[in-house]
Amino acid sequence: MSSDFYTLSILPHAGIIIKICRAYTDNEADFDDYYQEVCLQIWRSKDNFKAESKWSTWIYRLTLNVCLTLLKKTKKKKHFFSAEHQIVDVPEESHTDFSDEALAQLYIAIRQLSEIDRAVILLYLEEKSYKEISEIIGTSANNIGVRINRIKERLKKLLDGKVN
Amino acid sequence: MEKSIESIWKDGFLKREALVAPKVNDLYNRKSVHIIDKFARLFRVNLWAIITASVVLLGASYFAGALIAGSIMFITLMYIAYTAKFEMDALNKVDKGQSSYNYLKSFQNWLNRSIERYGKLYRIVYPTLILSFYFGLWFSDIFAGVRQKVAESTDDLFFGMHSYSSIVVIIGALIMGFFAKAIHRQDVKFVYGGILKKLDNALNEMEELRDPD
Repeated sequence: MSSDFYTLSILPHAGIIIKICRAYTDNEADFDDYYQEVCLQIWRSKDNFKAESKWSTWIYRLTLNVCLTLLKKTKKKKHFFSAEHQIVDVPEESHTDFSDEALAQLYIAIRQLSEIDRAVILLYLEEKSYKEISEIIGTSANNIGVRINRIKERLKKLLDGKVN
Repeated sequence: MEKSIESIWKDGFLKREALVAPKVNDLYNRKSVHIIDKFARLFRVNLWAIITASVVLLGASYFAGALIAGSIMFITLMYIAYTAKFEMDALNKVDKGQSSYNYLKSFQNWLNRSIERYGKLYRIVYPTLILSFYFGLWFSDIFAGVRQKVAESTDDLFFGMHSYSSIVVIIGALIMGFFAKAIHRQDVKFVYGGILKKLDNALNEMEELRDPD
């Protein structure tokens, strides 16, 4: 990947890529893999970008798709490994590499949501409109508001559980 | 006052270290190692399949009363296995410390050399295996009944074998020997096709990366 393309077209959006990748990974090694794979896929698919949407919206969508695909692969591998070695499914310790404890706790709570709910809440927290969220996720905008409220309720409960 | 999730999010990411991007340089290294590892695994499986097949053939030929043909096939297949082991050692010697591009290029060179070497080897191996199998089967104990029937029904015999079918098999074996390289190339494509496609794609991408214009 040319460093110019990375610096000019990806790095300005690295923030959102990092935020999304963190929500779908629970250790530093996976996070690095996801981030690098997303960057590589952006570079590979750059010619498919059509000016119908913003470059940033396209990056959101691509990042989510790559993360969801990788998550499925990771799950399959873990399942295969545990079936092969008869290891009891022990949840991995979440990486809390944020100096901000509240943010670290929020991420732990987000990782407990379903894959799609994670995508919805991340986009909401990034202040995307309901219309943009529905466009990125590929659902109808009508129920997004209700869904976001439900997710927020769930997150609050999860966070309260942690605090208590 | 309890913070809302929106403010936890905003405040948390105000700190710069929360958004430090990892380096994007290791992916191809791991991918290239993965491609070659996968190939090496499959190559090893094939090597053991050849060894197993040669032992099974030798055992079967003993029970079928065609031990000489079985032994020839056994030696031929073991020679292929020995060559494969030799090739495997050469593959293991490819320097993993070089850049991903050079590593994959070295692997591709090894592969081409190996296909070339095997192609030459199979010029002899294909006819040897086909003819050993044919003659072995023809003179085996289990074929005695067929031999008898052929001898009774025709005069076209050559050393007790049916002449025309023997000529067809000999010509077929020679053709196989003549086209050994092309056949072996197709064989490699059939067995390792998926990995070779990944190798080509990775190299094409890397070449594009090295020369973005």
